[in-house]
Amino acid sequence: MVEKRDITKVQELVYEMNVEQVMIKDIITVGPNNLMSDLRDLLRNKRISGVPVLENDKLIGMVSIEDFIKCLAEGKMNSAIRDRMSCDVEVLYNDEPLVQAVEKLDRLGYGRFPVLDRKNRKLVGIITKGDVIRGLLKKIEVDCHEEEIHRYRASHVFEDIVADKTTLTFQYEVVGKDFNKAGSASSGLKKTLRRMGISPKLIRRVAIATYEAEMNIVVYAEGGEITARITPREIRIEVADDGQGITDVRKAMEPGYSTAPDWVRELGFGAGMGLPNIKNCADVMNMESTVGKGTQLEFTIYLDERGKNDSQNNN
Amino acid sequence: MTIKKIIKILNCQVIVGEDKLDTEVMVGCGCDLMSDVLAFIKPEAMLLTGLSNLQTIRTAEMSELKVVCLVRDKQPNNDIVALAREKEIILLATSLPMFEACGKLYKSGLMGHTEYYK
Amino acid sequence: MILKTITEELGLEVKNAGVDLASDVTGAYVSDLLSDVIANSREGELWITLQVHPNIIAVATLKDLSGIILVNGRQPEEKTLMKSVEEQIPLMSTGLPAFQLAGRLYRLVEEC
Repeated sequence: MVEKRDITKVQELVYEMNVEQVMIKDIITVGPNNLMSDLRDLLRNKRISGVPVLENDKLIGMVSIEDFIKCLAEGKMNSAIRDRMSCDVEVLYNDEPLVQAVEKLDRLGYGRFPVLDRKNRKLVGIITKGDVIRGLLKKIEVDCHEEEIHRYRASHVFEDIVADKTTLTFQYEVVGKDFNKAGSASSGLKKTLRRMGISPKLIRRVAIATYEAEMNIVVYAEGGEITARITPREIRIEVADDGQGITDVRKAMEPGYSTAPDWVRELGFGAGMGLPNIKNCADVMNMESTVGKGTQLEFTIYLDERGKNDSQNNN
Repeated sequence: MTIKKIIKILNCQVIVGEDKLDTEVMVGCGCDLMSDVLAFIKPEAMLLTGLSNLQTIRTAEMSELKVVCLVRDKQPNNDIVALAREKEIILLATSLPMFEACGKLYKSGLMGHTEYYK
Repeated sequence: MILKTITEELGLEVKNAGVDLASDVTGAYVSDLLSDVIANSREGELWITLQVHPNIIAVATLKDLSGIILVNGRQPEEKTLMKSVEEQIPLMSTGLPAFQLAGRLYRLVEEC
């Protein structure tokens, strides 16, 4: 079933995929000295609409069902294919993006194109509109299926482990002052948690809190590390940076208190809501900071019944 | 309110999500500070913002938003468009300033936060 | 429409009581980015924002704005309040979020 959102996916795929990935490689060819009457069985039995003509392994023309019908009407079925084929053949190369094929099929109105290898100019396949569509649909299916497999595997990861206690640890490096990369650690963690089948509500809390913590590293430190430790009962996030440290931790927790420089404020952050946000999302939060050395922030979100009583935060 | 209707009201350009214009949003939120967005916005809301950087889309991603509308003619760069596409977030742009954009949507019946979550 | 009418109609709390509310409001500008307000707001507009930093008063003075409304229940920092009294910039607050306040103010301005 192709959904609407798959349409944009298709648009991307026609640029990503190339002709070789969708073309038919098992090609039927004829020689120039064959007779047009030889085509009858070929066209009927193989249900193909056009055949490349090869001479000494070289593509010299294409003969189509239209050529065949014309010949039939003229009663000249004994003519050699060489005399009835079209020699002026439009081709595609195996490494061209699919979008070229789509464009050419559309512009020239031909039903099929022979595909040549870019290097040795030998015929390696044939491509029709149907092949393009089939190839795209298959790729979409495979992609969806792969994500499903990821999700299945990740969501069952705890079940296969035999141990008294299991903790999964994921680590993410955060680069300071790189505003463009900021958020990619949280994004990766979020994706992983979703695959693990954790409830969207809890994921949202983890994602928002981790993202705020990641932004703090980006804004205030040269770099840092985010570690997520996951057990069947809880998600614990540890955030460590090498920044200036916080002089007054209690004050830093007050909503609206901020020491952010102007460039940060102009980027939509640093209005003093980050730490209060983290506190709101977390079930437990702890922060320790040493001036001149850095800050360690730790927060936990419960996955079991202890987390159900989360009315204090409205996420 | 559907995205289609919003596009009409704000005379929006659709940058990402042409195929998802039947999506519904229930609440409007106009804000340029991402921590505030993260603190109170809900997935059923549309974010209107004058802030056009990658963190705008990251914030939408973390908050599970479906739609972001850039106001006052902010044209997003390619990185922003690519991230919105990757995260399947509908990205609109209007030339109206924030005040007029909020005013027109509110007048057409889109609710604010304290009205919707009474 | 004069500022006094707006504060009454929208139930705004005036933080620097005694400030002159007779000025004419020509429109509104909603933004939380100071550089944006400096670049794009126009004289006589009411500024709707989440920012409570003392710099907002300087920006309002610089651009001859008719006043500042803090939204989402934000309260001005002490320094901000002091500067607003000094510069005689009307400073108000509301519990409403920016979208809603802008919506109601837009309707009010349109009606008159």
